[in-house]
Amino acid sequence: MPVDPYVVPAVDGVAYGLLVFVAASGLVLCFGVAGILNLAHGTLFAIGGYTAAALLDGGWASLALALAVGVLAATAAGALVAVLLTRVAAAGHLTQALVTFGVALAGGSLLVAAFGPDDPPVRVPAALDGSVAVAGHRYAAYRLVFILVAAVLAGLLHLVVRRTRAGMLVRAAVDDAEMVATLGVSPAVVRFGVLAAAGALAGAAGVLGAPIIGPGPGTADAVLLLSLVVVVLGGLGSMTGTLLAALAVGQIQTLGVALVPSAAPFLLFAAMAVVLAVRARGLATARRAT
Amino acid sequence: MSLTLTRRSRARTAALLALVLLAAPACADDGPAAGPGGTVKIGLLASLSGTYQSVGKDIRDGFQLYLSAHDGKLGGRTVELVVADEGNGAATAVPAATKLLKQDRVAALTGIVGGGSVAAVQPLLTESKVPFVGSNGRPELKDVSRVWHTSYLSDEPGEAIAAHVREDVKGSVYAIGPDYQGGWDELRGFTEAYAKAGGKLANPDGKTTFTPFPATTNFTPYFARIKASGADAVYTFYAGSAAVDFVKQYARSEIRDVPLYAAGFLTEGGVLDAQGDAARDIYSVLNYSPDLDNAENRAFVAAWKAEHDGSPTTYAMASYDAAAVLDRAIAAAGDDATPERINAAIGQLGQIASPRGTWQFSPTTHAPVQKWYLRQVRPDGRALSNTVVGDLATVGG
Repeated sequence: MPVDPYVVPAVDGVAYGLLVFVAASGLVLCFGVAGILNLAHGTLFAIGGYTAAALLDGGWASLALALAVGVLAATAAGALVAVLLTRVAAAGHLTQALVTFGVALAGGSLLVAAFGPDDPPVRVPAALDGSVAVAGHRYAAYRLVFILVAAVLAGLLHLVVRRTRAGMLVRAAVDDAEMVATLGVSPAVVRFGVLAAAGALAGAAGVLGAPIIGPGPGTADAVLLLSLVVVVLGGLGSMTGTLLAALAVGQIQTLGVALVPSAAPFLLFAAMAVVLAVRARGLATARRAT
Repeated sequence: MSLTLTRRSRARTAALLALVLLAAPACADDGPAAGPGGTVKIGLLASLSGTYQSVGKDIRDGFQLYLSAHDGKLGGRTVELVVADEGNGAATAVPAATKLLKQDRVAALTGIVGGGSVAAVQPLLTESKVPFVGSNGRPELKDVSRVWHTSYLSDEPGEAIAAHVREDVKGSVYAIGPDYQGGWDELRGFTEAYAKAGGKLANPDGKTTFTPFPATTNFTPYFARIKASGADAVYTFYAGSAAVDFVKQYARSEIRDVPLYAAGFLTEGGVLDAQGDAARDIYSVLNYSPDLDNAENRAFVAAWKAEHDGSPTTYAMASYDAAAVLDRAIAAAGDDATPERINAAIGQLGQIASPRGTWQFSPTTHAPVQKWYLRQVRPDGRALSNTVVGDLATVGG
């Protein structure tokens, strides 16, 4: 079988996978740490996407501005979700899911009311608005650069979770929330911080990923679904597992579709079923929150 | 929940149900649809919320534009327009249509974005004997005695452009589209007519490639296959956000220099703004373009631009024409404009002057026999627009 036609889908799978990773990592933090199933996560991503569509004008300055505004707005939205969840934090996942699903529905309607029912155009910086040669093929320049940026983001996230006090608190809260509380750190504060940080990650993914998964009325649902798949595949709460799962999802969605297009409608969920059947805890090994 | 509470809520439900059942026959005697007092009630059903709301709003605005240009009258009678929301499809369309037909007792129904909604509403039309002048979705229907469409059948765009593509493209064409009824019809129209003209598809198995809908947002893997097939051109149909994704990714893919031909919806209306420069040079086939040079179109476009940003779409034009059809049919129905007489009058209309050029209803399908145009996305001042570059076949019936 000639390898050549599959170079571009494989590279694209990495870009797509890293985008899904940055988007899903926030959900992993929420679920792993605060134990909160935030179904409004896709909406936080959409906020970033709409911000990018509204502010990007083809220049670098606008990209920096959109990133700042998008991250701030999504962080604020994440914090709002945390506040709304204060009273039902002790209740089960079903209650949390209902509250956050309500937030997602209301947020989605507000976004459509503010930005209109159509998918708004997203303008990438002019210098990246073209294609470059990759191993004799044309590939979108923005996506190539996005791979580098997302890789840096993933590395930073790893360092924060592993090396900083905040990251250690978060990991400690995963392992034993009660002990962390006894040490004088309010679980509510950790939960608030984690939901806000998750919002920031989703906002950043939304702004930077807008040229790849563009903002529109269906974006929130699509991103939430992909993130949930990645979280499940990654083994609930593990960053390394999430990265592996996201990259796998990326390859399944691109290389897999290029190899067997007739299986495209169910490839992703077939892969998820296989992984769960073989390895009930997902792709990650016993290490959690690493 | 305690037993008593359950019982109480059940009792409440039963009471509500009884109330609804009581109210229904009371509504059934609201008087005739077209009163002798010179008014006529028209129901307009369109997606004002959900995925297709931009199409739905165009349909509503197109109809209202005709009304306001004619003093709010159709056939000399003052129109009472009752607008209802079709939502995303049949599940929301049926209750809304039921309300229009049974409660408001409209003399005619118009609009409806989705083909599935039309199919689901049709039994209600048969039951209430009200004519429907649809302006968009048109599924396969066995009984069209009360169903008329001012739009087109889904396989006609492909049928109209196939011979031109066969002549224009030296080599093979790759066919790709979304995997649902609309996509199958649009692509079948093209591939059948293209094969008849002696063309050969570039797809490896000789069949159209269908992409999962609406799940597909990344088309790069399909572009890699098109590249590998060595196709000399691509024919496609997508609409809405899939059209935006397809076109933007195509322009940055390794097949960006392969000519792209499409059913007009790929670059129609709001999606063209979202696609921006990526849509440049795409060829498409449609029954309308805002730059058509005829008196009706000049008046239509000027009136539209006075009230809206941008140019009118084919959706708005079809709804404008639905109003024109009702205008003439109600006038022809005379003093006693019952739904039955309006329906009979629509069948006798003959040629209809329209912004798209003159057309008429096919006696068999009740859809237009009309000319199709070849358009290309070109800069028009600061914006991009679908510019007519030639006439294609007259198709329909």
